[in-house]
Amino acid sequence: MNEFIQNLIPLVVAVVGSMAWLAVNALVLVYCERKFAGHIQRRPGPFEVGPHGVLQTLIDGLKLMGKQLLTPDNADRFLYWLAPILSMIPVLLLFMPIPYGPVLTGMEVDLGLLLILAFSSFNGLALILAGWGSNNKWGILGAARAVAQTVAYEIPLLLTVLAIAFMTGTLNLTEITAQQAGHIGNWFIWKQPLAFIIFIVAMFGETNRAPFDLAEAESELTAGFHTEYSSMGFGLFFMAEYGYMVVICSICSVLFLGGFHGPIPGIEGWWWMLIKTYALLFLMIWARWTFPRVRFDQLLNINWKWLLPLATFNLLATALIMKL
Amino acid sequence: MSAYQNMDQMTGDFYTQKFEAAKQDGTLIINMGPQHPSTHGVLRIVIEVDGEYIVRAEPVLGYLHRMHEKMGEVQTWGGFIPNMGRVDYGHAMAWNWAYVGAVEKLMGIEVPERAQYLRVIMTELNRLTSHLLWWGAYILDLGAFTPIMYAFDDREMLLDILQRPSASRLTYSNFRVGGVQMDMDDKCIELIKAFIPHFRDRLPMYHDLVTENIILRRRIEDIGIIDQDMCRRYGCTGPVLRGAGVAYDVRRSEPYSVYDRFDFEIPTQDSACSAGRYHVRIAEMEQSLRIIEQALEQLPGAEGSHIVDKAPKPAMKPPVGEAYFAVEGARGKIGIYVASDGTKTPYRVKLRAPGFSNMNAFAEAATGTILADAVAILGSLDLIIPELDR
Amino acid sequence: MLQALAGIPTQLVARQDKGTTGNVWSVFLAPKQILKTARKLMEAEYSLEDILALDFNEGFLVLYHFNRWTIDERVTLRVLVSRDNPVVPSIASVFHGAEWHERETRDFHGVIFEGNPNLVPLLMPAEDVDVHPLVKSAKARLSIKEVLSLGEIVSSTGEIDALFAEAEAGEASDA
Repeated sequence: MNEFIQNLIPLVVAVVGSMAWLAVNALVLVYCERKFAGHIQRRPGPFEVGPHGVLQTLIDGLKLMGKQLLTPDNADRFLYWLAPILSMIPVLLLFMPIPYGPVLTGMEVDLGLLLILAFSSFNGLALILAGWGSNNKWGILGAARAVAQTVAYEIPLLLTVLAIAFMTGTLNLTEITAQQAGHIGNWFIWKQPLAFIIFIVAMFGETNRAPFDLAEAESELTAGFHTEYSSMGFGLFFMAEYGYMVVICSICSVLFLGGFHGPIPGIEGWWWMLIKTYALLFLMIWARWTFPRVRFDQLLNINWKWLLPLATFNLLATALIMKL
Repeated sequence: MSAYQNMDQMTGDFYTQKFEAAKQDGTLIINMGPQHPSTHGVLRIVIEVDGEYIVRAEPVLGYLHRMHEKMGEVQTWGGFIPNMGRVDYGHAMAWNWAYVGAVEKLMGIEVPERAQYLRVIMTELNRLTSHLLWWGAYILDLGAFTPIMYAFDDREMLLDILQRPSASRLTYSNFRVGGVQMDMDDKCIELIKAFIPHFRDRLPMYHDLVTENIILRRRIEDIGIIDQDMCRRYGCTGPVLRGAGVAYDVRRSEPYSVYDRFDFEIPTQDSACSAGRYHVRIAEMEQSLRIIEQALEQLPGAEGSHIVDKAPKPAMKPPVGEAYFAVEGARGKIGIYVASDGTKTPYRVKLRAPGFSNMNAFAEAATGTILADAVAILGSLDLIIPELDR
Repeated sequence: MLQALAGIPTQLVARQDKGTTGNVWSVFLAPKQILKTARKLMEAEYSLEDILALDFNEGFLVLYHFNRWTIDERVTLRVLVSRDNPVVPSIASVFHGAEWHERETRDFHGVIFEGNPNLVPLLMPAEDVDVHPLVKSAKARLSIKEVLSLGEIVSSTGEIDALFAEAEAGEASDA
């Protein structure tokens, strides 16, 4: 019993910590995105609330909470409200096994990578339920796209992760980080460049971000799966989207960019992880505000005709080299 | 009486029900619009989709119908000019010109040289604003948010210029029968002269930023074929027709005013697809710059001779008869037919909107493509909904 | 003479002054000839600009504006139909773009285009198909001769001239 409580306390602390981390991240990231987008578009971005508009997202969040929660007529009430919750909850879990610093790890899990991949699939399910449950034709089209897209892009993502697992012989993220200790040359990006590129591309597909934001596709499907959601129903999807972005960029940093290790020996710490994650996040934002959206069949073609064969080839090559 | 009469009151309005009557099994009928982000206003298209493939499409117009032609019949000849600015907010000057041109024809008025040149300069500047607006909005439809901000950067400068001689920024109505309402001052001409090299510098950036982008090219190349045969059947004009390889431009084929004095090309593309129309419009911007440049060089007359002496009052009485006058707008041939019974109100005014005919070809072009292509085709037609509905 | 229309029985063909009307050929036709004429014009590479109607005492005058891409020679086809039974055959089977123009003309004037595949309200609401805003009140309505002039007549069967002839006679008596 005592042992159970001893295990429970850090877990609770970690869950609360990751909730706080998620909320803070969402606030900071949305602000960064709007400011960054503003500068890309040669305008200042939010400027009115607080110095340089830093409080803008907080106010927007409050405004969102003040809105009325609407359920459309003939919608499946249960599924309709289950969807945003189902989208949000797994994100909290996903932060657990990620090592943010030498001691800053929520919970060291031997199968950490597997856990993340398994739970992140919930998001696809949530999008389908949202589209289906809201009794809206655009929602259904968005949901149909979401299914095809998330299922498709999970495969190359898994295959690249598998290549790293082959190399390291573990699915434990702390262990994977440890193997990249030392200088910049030890980072896996040099050993697995192809996997890194595939991962980056698949990352956009997995998180439904532009240019692969087909499930929302504002100019085609109005807002796709979340057309009917108002207030925090939409807010939860929004937070979850940013949550998934942070998770997947963190994983990318851990797998390919050495996690919390610095480029030269001796300096390591959580700030490296933060810098790398945010650098990747900025890459995603940059892409969003630069590229047009791909067409749906092209999106699937990129996956099935390019990413999947390349990822398979990469995996086989890795296996062969490891065997030799 | 209502058109509903023989329909059971199920769901949807008259057009949906009528469309649904011919529905196939296993398809979905969706209403794209009247409130949809990429229909730019209140255009509605009823679409039958099989998965994402479009089986049938039928545009439903009239949500922005204001009956300008009736307004023409109850107003004085001069009082109808402001309506022209409201038909097409994109290229209001060309509509102004078409109307006053038709009335001038009827009355046999010879417009002073300087006014002709001022009209050319302002219409071409307005064409630039229209194309810039289209360019930004089209790329926005295709999912890229940033280019419209760049386009509006330049468009803003143009609006500031056009504001000086016309005293408005969007719904211009500064053409008068016999000339234009105000002359351009030196400051305005200076601004235009400064704008031309500035915009020439910007155009290559637009190309680098957008035109060569592989995602964009895959989205618009070979999508939405509207070939010469279709153009003839539907009466498409403007960039749609030129994108199909026909060098038809009213400024050249049916020369009016002083357009025959300028050296400019008529860009065409043979591909007949959305990309063809895209490239035609981009190339037209360069040609407009050339025309403006030449017009500024040749600008004759003293300041103040921008309208005929004793210009007709708004309540003028043109002689009995009819007249048809066509000009090249940003979207194609704008034609205005007027019939006069010799009183101070027109007997009939008919507005031929280019977008109306271009939109007509949409249903055929979109059949068999996927939903995302429909957006790409719709955007490439450069629709201004008030102009369609009039 | 207009080559493209060879072989079509016309009521009246006139040449108009392009400088003041913007129009070159003015052709009056009986309603039943319009479809055949449209086919001829399609073969001669004309394209349809617009269709409109004018409301006169004698009936509705439906105007079709055609022009060519290569030569600037606007041809106006004119069909006069009675007010009691305003029916014109549709040319939408030849010029597909005519479908919308005809629907619009039906909305505004109530002219029925027989054979139009989809003759439902286009710009006016579906709730009141009987409202035709451009039909003039009896007071405001004029005769055809009070608004239009014929131009230089090339050929004629006489029935259209009769509508205009009175005008000349009337003017002569005024003088």
